[in-house]
Amino acid sequence: MRVDWLSLVDFRSYRALDWRPDPTVNLLIGPNGAGKTNVLESIGYLASLKSFRSASDSDVISRWSGSSVIRAGIGSIDRERLIEIEIPREGGRRTQVDKTKLKRTAELLGVLRVVAFLPEDLDLVKRGPAYRRDLLDDIAVQLWPSAYLDQSEYDRSVRQRNAFLKSGDRDEVTLAVWDSRLAQAGGRVMARRIRVIETLTPLLAESYSVIASEDAQVGITYSASWIEGAVPSVSAGEYADAIARALEARRRVDYERRMTTVGPHRDEPGFSIGERDARTQASQGEQRTLALAMKLAAHQAITQALSETPVLLLDDVFSELDPNRAEALAGALPENTQTLVTSARPEDLPISGKVWSVGEGDVG
Amino acid sequence: MFEGPVQRLIDELSRLPGIGSKSAQRLAFHILAIEKPDALRLAAAINDMRDQVTLCERCFNVAAGELCSICRDQRRDDSVVCVVERPQDIVVVERTQEYRGGYHVLGGSLSPINGVGPGQLRFDELRARLQTEGIEELIVATNPTVEGDATAMYIAREFKPLGLRVTRLASGLPVGGDLDYADELTLGRALAGRSEL
Ligand SMILES: Nc1ncnc2c1ncn2[C@@H]1O[C@H](COP(=O)(O)OP(=O)(O)O)[C@@H](O)[C@H]1O
Ligand SMILES: [Mg+2]
Ligand SMILES: [Zn+2]
Repeated sequence: MRVDWLSLVDFRSYRALDWRPDPTVNLLIGPNGAGKTNVLESIGYLASLKSFRSASDSDVISRWSGSSVIRAGIGSIDRERLIEIEIPREGGRRTQVDKTKLKRTAELLGVLRVVAFLPEDLDLVKRGPAYRRDLLDDIAVQLWPSAYLDQSEYDRSVRQRNAFLKSGDRDEVTLAVWDSRLAQAGGRVMARRIRVIETLTPLLAESYSVIASEDAQVGITYSASWIEGAVPSVSAGEYADAIARALEARRRVDYERRMTTVGPHRDEPGFSIGERDARTQASQGEQRTLALAMKLAAHQAITQALSETPVLLLDDVFSELDPNRAEALAGALPENTQTLVTSARPEDLPISGKVWSVGEGDVG
Repeated sequence: MFEGPVQRLIDELSRLPGIGSKSAQRLAFHILAIEKPDALRLAAAINDMRDQVTLCERCFNVAAGELCSICRDQRRDDSVVCVVERPQDIVVVERTQEYRGGYHVLGGSLSPINGVGPGQLRFDELRARLQTEGIEELIVATNPTVEGDATAMYIAREFKPLGLRVTRLASGLPVGGDLDYADELTLGRALAGRSEL
């Protein structure tokens, strides 16, 4: 897959950008604040319908404008598609594929697939569990676009159930209804996460040994308070039943704390190296290698599933790595992949590609 | 700010859903520009609607008298009631020409975020109807949203124990849709939510 052209109107620092990236490696060079990450963010937005650095959509709209428009020509093995999304400050987003309006914004997902690596991802092993939950959920959406609906439904159900608990209402039937709704969506979210872990685990071990140039037993762990012992690999329905049972058992606590204290939104994914917990017992070097390997594994998993390579975004990553690891990453990057790399210092980049100079609202 | 009466209309219009201050301004000046009888006809239509239209005492559909036209229709099957969120949803079901039963408008869906619990919806009115009418089946046609689904579950839990048949409209693939053209998203969901035949 590749972005053949990209056009931005009132997106972050860009009033009007028209850019034709190279189908291979692109190096976006410019000083801090030049607008490099903004370009990558717009491409990431097309692939996941959310910004990789702001929770709120309206942040991406240029300060002077009421709406942003992102347009792009997406090339894949068998076809070329034109996608457009308008993000207004007020009201819903509008999306089109090949000039046809989509009934639901989410139908845009899958047209473009992306794996993004940001500087903060280097710390994904030691950050809080929410970060790793999002990581698994984001990969799930790139693999199976309908996961997006499950995740939105789950978030919505948790918010509704929490609002009910906060309302002071004690109607058991209403609570049971929200329990059941939450459990159903939660079961589907959970099943996707476990499938992501199963798909990525062998690829992760492989990528890790390439970057570290040594073999290691690396794994992805998952602990859920609503499951006793090891997490089994079962159907979404069975996870849903287990969540429903846990919610019922926690009712008193949930009423007291006025929030949902159990479920996939509280689970803790992690990593292991051999017998060690990577979060508490791995060196910073090992943790960073794991983070890099995880993203490469995600890229490979999507490639295998689609027989097509997702676009790879590497934002300021090389400058954060020591020279050895930077070299190792450069050597491990997937082939035949459109890659967008940003850096303020081109001399730090251990890879070559088409060089673009970014600044003053333009890429040229 | 414009001359008093103009600004007043702009303010009123901009309180309507989906109308921003710019559109309100455009509409107000349009109404100022058209022939006076045309403008007054619009005002009269709003007046008449609010004067003459009420909610049906039985099903809470819009009505021009005590009962709506559907409740007045003797040929309709009283044993089946289709439960919807809003009066507009009745129009959608009616358009299919497939349904000959009655309706019950809840007035929304369960949504604690918006302060809507069972007490804010017309469940008591539905219970009262069950006492007096020979209703045997409820067809739940709430929206396919998290809130609509929760409302459907609530109805099943509350009304099934009373010996009623409670069914839910199937969702997933669009009716008449071709599998080839179903987007990946809908198809994924339809597969996940498949049911036994
Ligand atoms: N909503 C916005 N409207 C206008 N400008 C913005 C907006 N958000 C960020 N910017 C500008 O974008 C610039 C940062 O761009 P960024 O892509 O992060 O730079 P870098 O090249 O360092 O990655 C800053 O100058 C900032 O003021
Ligand atoms: Mg940046
Ligand atoms: Zn009626």
